[in-house]
Amino acid sequence: MADPAADPPASLQVFRYTAGDDTVRAVIGEVEAGLPLEDLVAHATQALESETFMCFAVSQSGDFVADELCFVPRGERCEILSIRTNGWQRHYGDHRRSLVEILNNLAAAVACGKLRILDEAELLQEAQAGTELLHFAIDDSASLTAAREAVDVILQGSDIDDLTRQRTILCISEAVTNMLLHGGGRGSMTLRRLDDRLRVVVADEGPGMDFLNWIGPPTKKGQASMGYGFKIILDYLDAVGLRTGRTGTTLVLDRKTD
Amino acid sequence: MLRTTIAPGPAPTVFLAGEMDLDCADNLREAVAEAARGAQTVVLDFAEVKFIDSSGTGIFVRLSLDMKSQGTPMVARSLSPAVKGVFDMLRVRDLVGDEVFPD
Repeated sequence: MADPAADPPASLQVFRYTAGDDTVRAVIGEVEAGLPLEDLVAHATQALESETFMCFAVSQSGDFVADELCFVPRGERCEILSIRTNGWQRHYGDHRRSLVEILNNLAAAVACGKLRILDEAELLQEAQAGTELLHFAIDDSASLTAAREAVDVILQGSDIDDLTRQRTILCISEAVTNMLLHGGGRGSMTLRRLDDRLRVVVADEGPGMDFLNWIGPPTKKGQASMGYGFKIILDYLDAVGLRTGRTGTTLVLDRKTD
Repeated sequence: MLRTTIAPGPAPTVFLAGEMDLDCADNLREAVAEAARGAQTVVLDFAEVKFIDSSGTGIFVRLSLDMKSQGTPMVARSLSPAVKGVFDMLRVRDLVGDEVFPD
């Protein structure tokens, strides 16, 4: 049974099941003691066999270590997204998007192939693919402007239309802003050229994505929640890779250029 | 960087130009506060805003709600395509109310 006093009010975990295995492994978060692995494997197997994206609301937290679970089949493996709310109110005024909506949006993005949850090996491979065009440190809001300008200059030389270019710049701005506000305030941005796309890797060594930020209202100064930025990123880019944990967050942002 | 110009009058207008990101909060708040002195409403003109992100949008939403609660509501007009696209995506109208967008 979750202890609201001891545990964070909400957390996202992602597990991965590969067909034929008898267990799951953690991609975001940890496989904690007490996790009902057999149930997870059974549901993941069902999702794979039926090729169906399945979500469950779990009303008895003692029965299942999550309040909401989504099983997303992707070829030979099934991504399992879980949000544990520990009693946190799901709806809290007009500004707060529900955690369930967030989870469902993330799961839908994984299901359609737009969002890839990356493990360490996948991240290393994706972050080093192609040819590096530019790498610079991000540590203040002035570098936010520089990041936008750098992407703009490179995209000006491609065949994409103005609207797509502007939306791409918006997405980079969102990713870098998230880093400045929530990712420890510093990190790096790397632009890479792949055969058919521009890849922007935004990395920090902050505390990892805190999904509570996603349901918070704008702060007194008006800083918007991280969820809005991530929604823009998922809606406008061609592909997004995400790795997040206690040692940092990396976003791999792709814009097709041909 | 966000630039602001105030046109005084019965319904003073704050003309916005440039970029609205996480750095625009103080600039925007100061301009609106100055324009609001003695006024019943404040108009924000977005025609020359070339870029806005979710941070800039959040700052506008927060300020709009604050001004409404203080009795000097804001009105937004002449949204540039960049602003309109982001406001529509983030459902800003639902957050601040239809009355903020009389156009």
